[in-house]
Amino acid sequence: MTMRRRRFLTGAAGAAAAAAAGVTAGCGNLHSSDPDVLTFMFRGSTEERDVFSRAVAVFEERTGYEVQIISTSADQYATKLQTAILGNSVPDVFYLEPPRTMAYVTNGVLADLTPYVEATDLPVDDIWTAGLDLYRFDGEQIGKGPLYAMPKDLGPFSFGYNKTLFEEMGVEPPDPDVPLDWDEFLERCQALTGDRDGDGATDAWGTSVNIGAEIHSYVWSNGGDWLSEDARTITIDTPEFAEALQYIVDLREVHGVTPSINETEGMDGYQRWLRGQIGFFPVAPWDLTLYRTLDFEFDLCPYPAGRTGVSATNIGSLGIGVSAKSLRPDRAAELAMFLACDPEAQAIIVGEGQTIPNTRSHAAEWVKDTSIEPRNKQEYLDIVEDYGHFVPNALTYTPEWMDAFFTNIQPVLEARADVGEYLAATQPVMQDFLDSAREQFRIDQEANAR
Amino acid sequence: MSATTTTGTGDLHRSERRWGRLFIAPPVIGFALFALAPLLFSLYAAFTHWNGLSAPLFSGFANFRTMAGDPQFWQSLGNTLFLMIGVPIGLAISLILALALNRQMPGRAAFRVIYYLPGVSSVAAIAILWQWALNGDFGLVNQLLAAVGIDGPNWLAEKHWVKPALILMGVWKGIGFSTLLYLAALQSVPRTLLEAAMLDGAGAWLRFRHVILPMLSPVTFFLVVTGIIGGAQMFAEINIMTPTGGPEFGSATIVWYIWQQGFQNLQLGYATAMSLVLGLMIFLVTAVQFYLNSRNIFTVE
Repeated sequence: MTMRRRRFLTGAAGAAAAAAAGVTAGCGNLHSSDPDVLTFMFRGSTEERDVFSRAVAVFEERTGYEVQIISTSADQYATKLQTAILGNSVPDVFYLEPPRTMAYVTNGVLADLTPYVEATDLPVDDIWTAGLDLYRFDGEQIGKGPLYAMPKDLGPFSFGYNKTLFEEMGVEPPDPDVPLDWDEFLERCQALTGDRDGDGATDAWGTSVNIGAEIHSYVWSNGGDWLSEDARTITIDTPEFAEALQYIVDLREVHGVTPSINETEGMDGYQRWLRGQIGFFPVAPWDLTLYRTLDFEFDLCPYPAGRTGVSATNIGSLGIGVSAKSLRPDRAAELAMFLACDPEAQAIIVGEGQTIPNTRSHAAEWVKDTSIEPRNKQEYLDIVEDYGHFVPNALTYTPEWMDAFFTNIQPVLEARADVGEYLAATQPVMQDFLDSAREQFRIDQEANAR
Repeated sequence: MSATTTTGTGDLHRSERRWGRLFIAPPVIGFALFALAPLLFSLYAAFTHWNGLSAPLFSGFANFRTMAGDPQFWQSLGNTLFLMIGVPIGLAISLILALALNRQMPGRAAFRVIYYLPGVSSVAAIAILWQWALNGDFGLVNQLLAAVGIDGPNWLAEKHWVKPALILMGVWKGIGFSTLLYLAALQSVPRTLLEAAMLDGAGAWLRFRHVILPMLSPVTFFLVVTGIIGGAQMFAEINIMTPTGGPEFGSATIVWYIWQQGFQNLQLGYATAMSLVLGLMIFLVTAVQFYLNSRNIFTVE
């Protein structure tokens, strides 16, 4: 009896020990204890994972360092990374969402890459300047000072149009260099909106505005902005901002040149664009592989310009950062720089296009290739080098203030609430969030200085 | 093992007691390590300014003052309460189903499996499934409504419909479990009591009202308590179906808001304080329920 019990107990203890070991191993694998193995935490689709695995394999071959890729889904990434930071097991190399740069630097999560950049043979100087500047932070403001991450990519959020639909409706296509003004844009949209098959229901529209992604373009090109220069004041209560938002609302509610609320309920603007029903629509680099399979032709054009007469749009980006606690920061930095600018790695990553080239010299070659859509690839480069801006939630300590803008916006978009009143009422709410982020920044800064 | 082993004091029982302690050690250690220790730590963390990136800083009652004046905290708390309307609705439907299933009829086992299926499926899968079912235009729910001539709303995108939609899903998800428990309880209602009531001239309704329902009250109590606790902790569905907290923050539950503050906005100290308040609320509500339950207990003498 005792024998049997004892044997059972030994077995149980063994199992428990194994489970415990499993747990520790599970926690530990984000942060490699073996200095020769780098860990790289990654998020993205299976295709992207495949592409980056290939690039990492080239790195391993060239340097002889071993890299372990930890892959997570996009929506779990932030939570997982924060848990790793809390648990003091930050991966050596990881993706950095720009709105987190300030917080991560202030709290000592990110390593300063400047010395490694100065020492490397990799063409870091060839990377888009705007992309590098996004990850600079001097302790007060983003855009200046030491470099804390490499841009993994830049995603110029370009406008585009359905060439086939323009021909069908007999509308003159937009000029690739000169932006339309808002009146001209409205006229083209009106000409594009109609009932093509004659069944009495509209089946073609000028455009369809995704407020979260596109409001920036309308606001900026009209001379408005979210924040003051020093990023301390919310400036949505300006006439320029209000006019831009009103213009977007009117496109649908007054002029009917975008699908109505009811029409977007079933099939949103994106789905209708894919079906060839929308004239003007954003064409971001990560959409290209899908768009090329559609049965209409498309190309890029600048966003219509408001009062300033200059087109504007946003540039997305994701950074590749290195943990300040990495045991081999030199190798980790090497990997980050390698992925961002090594010609061989970039050739794999840019491939058939989910992203534009990360370096200027590569881009100069890439833009010449007119064999695949879009022909006007130059538009992407113009955005990166000239008229694109980063969404300013990357300039503040926490991005909550911007989320607050969108929380209650639906009634405004449906013209059930007044634009001016909404902006006036929302400005103080956002300002409060911004102020408490600022307050938090101060506290954390002091705490970490000690 | 006889009952005497637990009370014995002699040498004979010493080893038994040692074994007993060994056997209860894993759950006790597990509880201490993974429930008690975090709870104690949260008691401290709730009074700190803690961003989740570096060490917490003591900040007194600041988090609780913020909470009192935070409209989103109150709104998410209100949303959570609203969603609990689903608890009584679910119980009523489960009871009806259990009554129906409690009769000899062909295919009973199949129905039981079908009703219980959502209970064993992953919450994430269910949430994605319902996200499609609730789609404004081509969703299953609106197609069914269209079949009877009702033009359904865009459930998850409209402020007034997002909560009913979530309640609908919650009821569907929970029904299998409560039906099963009710069914088991129904089958253990003593036949003698029902016969006695019949002899006293009680009809079907009176038998249900005065015999069956009281006999089911322990199960109802259990389901209400667990339903409220579970409802107060609703998170995964919300995070998948309405990742930004829904139209005009209409579907943000308190746990979702805690997660958002802690993991999105570097407010882990504040999030901990809110969790503590939520835990206290759940404890109080449950205590009140136990008290009320103890006052009208139904026993068969």
